[in-house]
Amino acid sequence: MQFTKDSFYMALLERLVSLNPMQTITLDGTTRPAIIVAENELVTSAQPVSDAFYIEWGDAQMVAGQVGDRGLMEMDCLISYHTFGTVQSGVDRGRALAALDMELLSICEPPRTSKRDYTQAPSVDLGTSILWTTPTFGKVSGSDAAKNERLPLGNEGVRLERSASLKVFFFPEVNFL
Amino acid sequence: MSTSPVRAAMVPVMRQLRAYFAPMNRTTGTPTIFDPGKYGAFLLDAPPAPWLDLGWVDNFQRLCTTLTEPVRAGVPSTPATQFRGPLDARIEFDFREWGKLQMALACGSEHMNVLASNPNANPQPSGGTPLPAVALLAGSTASEIVLGVGAVNAFSVGDIVAVDADYQQQTGYVGSGISAAYVSDPANVNNDANYIRRVTFNLGRVAQETATSLLLAQPLLGGTPPVGASAQKVIAFVDRDGGSFFQEWSALFVAEEESGGRVCFHYPRLSPTTAIETSMSLNPAAQPRAVKAFQHEENIEITKPISALALHAAFQGMPHVDENDGQTVVCYRSYFPAAMAAVY
Repeated sequence: MQFTKDSFYMALLERLVSLNPMQTITLDGTTRPAIIVAENELVTSAQPVSDAFYIEWGDAQMVAGQVGDRGLMEMDCLISYHTFGTVQSGVDRGRALAALDMELLSICEPPRTSKRDYTQAPSVDLGTSILWTTPTFGKVSGSDAAKNERLPLGNEGVRLERSASLKVFFFPEVNFL
Repeated sequence: MSTSPVRAAMVPVMRQLRAYFAPMNRTTGTPTIFDPGKYGAFLLDAPPAPWLDLGWVDNFQRLCTTLTEPVRAGVPSTPATQFRGPLDARIEFDFREWGKLQMALACGSEHMNVLASNPNANPQPSGGTPLPAVALLAGSTASEIVLGVGAVNAFSVGDIVAVDADYQQQTGYVGSGISAAYVSDPANVNNDANYIRRVTFNLGRVAQETATSLLLAQPLLGGTPPVGASAQKVIAFVDRDGGSFFQEWSALFVAEEESGGRVCFHYPRLSPTTAIETSMSLNPAAQPRAVKAFQHEENIEITKPISALALHAAFQGMPHVDENDGQTVVCYRSYFPAAMAAVY
């Protein structure tokens, strides 16, 4: 299962670097591509950084009808991101969020990648691929608005955020022969 | 007396069914016999030789269309005795796993290994003129293919290799260990020295390479390669609608025992079929037979639009004479009761 998580992350990271090499963040003093697996980061009280994709893993289970230790599994994945826009006034925050939406869609295509063991360098191809569904985008929600905020979704808030969910399918790491 | 409608230990509970096949000796017509007294409790991951694990199967159906007919006598006419009509039993199921054997059995005819071809060769749907074969050296086994220094470099870790003898213009069944095809005239196969490797079941994936040999991840099904065998790289598998050859294998299906009792279905001889008749009559002329179209693959939805492809297979049970009483039968159903289950 960990190989699946790593392979998914590395696929999206490499595609993001290829698509938009300027899409970087500085975290813990290091500049890196703006895609982060939450569970791999240091536990801090800092807020998530803006304009970056945060990957969180959810439920995992066997696909319906599959049994045994060689069956196909599925794992929920939530990718969240937020933006304050690119200008001080934040008036382009909607456009910035839409750009992140499109970037996410782009890096999720094609919806598959080979499963590799990244605990070794160079990584080793494990022989099967993982695949995933097209991301389903959740509603846009805003926050950090002025106190007189009245709109239902809070989109007048200076911070716009969205989550996209998808399912990742994979064969567990067992001997297939 | 218990008020429960059934006694639990007498109820076989299964989650899935596992398929095992073993080759028949086609020349002598001898099947591989599953003796429940010797092998009944085998570990499902370690079937007794020569049974081969072909994985879990779905939608398993045993269809028996053998009719019993009464002989009537008297006035008014009443059944006096019964006899069994033409013996006919079929099975259908879906292989959830794809592989050489699963494809060959589901297809039912010659199953081709697509040999790595010469880039200048004319295209052929089952593979064109292949790259030259590499001769095996002495000391090769079912798990280690000795090719020698330099020659071993024709292959890489991860390659699939076909290992078998050159075709020597013989007629009859071909394929080491397992009959893979029947050649009635060498001209039909273009006198092709590579023909046996095009159809052989003697395949393996290269797991490691040494300076002189290939170490296979799974042993060759036919055992130690024959003298004069050569190896060629296999790119893909191809089966075809059509062909004159019929696979014939022995089969065993085991319902995994979830509650302690194991049920096995043993078909000494199974031959692939496609047309599944939905009704049959002793007199075909009197009643047209309804034929259900045969679907070669089943789509098993995972989540829209993603689905898994399963190989749909159907087989005709062929007759086997039980040596214990001389009866002609098609299938043996065996039941291994759970420990301490009531006998009746």
